[in-house]
Amino acid sequence: MLAAVRIVIARCSVDYAGRLTAHLPSAPRLLIVKADGSVLVHSDGGSYKPLNWMSPPCRLVEQPDRWTVTSKSGEILTISIEEILSDASFDLGIDPGLRKDGVESQLQETLAAQLSVLGEGWRLVRREYPTPIGPVDLMCRDGDGVSVAVEIKRRGEIDGVEQLTRYLELLNRDPLLAPVRGIFAAQEIKPQARVLAEDRGIRCVILDYDALRGAPRDEMTLF
Amino acid sequence: MKFQVERDVLAEAVAWTARALPARPALPVLAGMRLQAGEDLTLSSFDYDVSAQASLPVAVEEEGDVLVSGRLLAEITRSLPPRPVEVHTDGARTILTCGSAQFSLLMLPAEDYPALPDMPPAVGTVESDVFAAAVAQVATAAGRDDTLPALTGVRIEIEADTLTLIATDRYRLAVRELRWSPAKPDLSAAVLVPGRALADTARALTAGAEVSIALALPGENGDGMIGFEGGGRRATTRLLGGEFPRYQALLPDQVNATAELPAALLSESVKRVALVAERNTPVRLSFTPGQLLLEAGTGDEAQAAETLEASYEGDDIQIAFNPQYLLDGLTVMDSDTVRISFTAPAKPAVITGKPAADQAPDYRYLLMPIRLGG
Repeated sequence: MLAAVRIVIARCSVDYAGRLTAHLPSAPRLLIVKADGSVLVHSDGGSYKPLNWMSPPCRLVEQPDRWTVTSKSGEILTISIEEILSDASFDLGIDPGLRKDGVESQLQETLAAQLSVLGEGWRLVRREYPTPIGPVDLMCRDGDGVSVAVEIKRRGEIDGVEQLTRYLELLNRDPLLAPVRGIFAAQEIKPQARVLAEDRGIRCVILDYDALRGAPRDEMTLF
Repeated sequence: MKFQVERDVLAEAVAWTARALPARPALPVLAGMRLQAGEDLTLSSFDYDVSAQASLPVAVEEEGDVLVSGRLLAEITRSLPPRPVEVHTDGARTILTCGSAQFSLLMLPAEDYPALPDMPPAVGTVESDVFAAAVAQVATAAGRDDTLPALTGVRIEIEADTLTLIATDRYRLAVRELRWSPAKPDLSAAVLVPGRALADTARALTAGAEVSIALALPGENGDGMIGFEGGGRRATTRLLGGEFPRYQALLPDQVNATAELPAALLSESVKRVALVAERNTPVRLSFTPGQLLLEAGTGDEAQAAETLEASYEGDDIQIAFNPQYLLDGLTVMDSDTVRISFTAPAKPAVITGKPAADQAPDYRYLLMPIRLGG
């Protein structure tokens, strides 16, 4: 059972010797040995922070009354164990990672499903429409059948406008597509980016992710 | 350069000018405050969005033009003892002496300092006190969230001799009308001014009797700019772009119930009752003929209740508000008696002062309620 998290409750004292020395007197504590090799010593308080810890890569040598954790740089965490109250291991498998709401791919997916936000009668040509310098987020046709390229950002800054400008320049060389207009869509757009975009004839659209997703607002607003 | 000046006069002018110092200057020289001693002393600061300039009479012995750290100068002048101040240059340093205290400041290259924008053409004047009060009444409702930049602004609508100031953060909306003296009688324009800069400027320009407003509308020459000048001080601010909501449509045209009660008593009571309201929880107002019951807190927490006498016309209503938003509106009310008009518990309420008979109130604060039991 190597790749597993091990949770030990033990009465122990801890000594750390490295860049500084620290001592935790004897008390019941929670010891966590993670599959990546890190060792954490927690008390029942102090929020999420361990009292003491050793980050990987490090080596744990286990004796019945003493754990010695040595890091690559020679720091030593010594846990003197008086009594083990609980010792359990669990294989957590591969972690899918932290997913954040409102990332660009989700915004892209959500907006593609609700093109009416941009205008009436709009059709999606495709998401990730290829150009020679990378895909543009959405290619659409507006109500009059005119091509519109949409670049989606979480925070709309100047470099996003530049990126869309380059796409538009290339897309407009395609006689089957041209003229291609641009939309710069983001949850927030920096004033400078807006100025630059509007100066280049690119429309700016603020995306309200919660509203797009149909999440109920718990606050009532005037508009 | 060499001049003498009274400590308070200098400190006040430096503090005013320091408002436009950028917190994180894009160019090192922008952290500087420019001191130009000619007939008067002129202090300038600029961050490309906002500029501030103050002129003050000083006894100039030798003319000069220096740039020193604005933040440091502001802190120094604020802390000086009440004695005359003498400033002079000595080689690459500017020496400031006040009583027995002496400061020697490094000079930044004044020749690299950008020219302040020219004041746009003046479009009219307004009484400084009235303007400051009106801006304060409206700016309280401006948004502080930069994700909706247009809502961080105060819209100024100019229509002949009436200025209308409007701000909203989607939860409340404040509208104030005031008279002013336009330079041209048929002037009509609408601009969006950054709310915080406007509030600061208006508050600080009450030294003179009048404030002159100068305007360059957005167009080919850039974003447009608004300038304010009065009492030897002038400030310019770049205008905001973006769509401002059509606010007239938000003002309810129908009123089903009206309450009137003393403004001070109501705000004190709201403050008291709100002590038990956790963040983002409402105060509940129940109006019945002759009285208002204020409540906050729910069964699981601390609760508070208070009853006030109120004149009330209409069907009984129970409505809930964000206490801070309610207080924001009550504290800027320019009347001893407030009038609250309701349409329905889920529709915005309008708070105004009690206007004189047959007159429309010049200030309206529209407040969206919070859903009850939700």
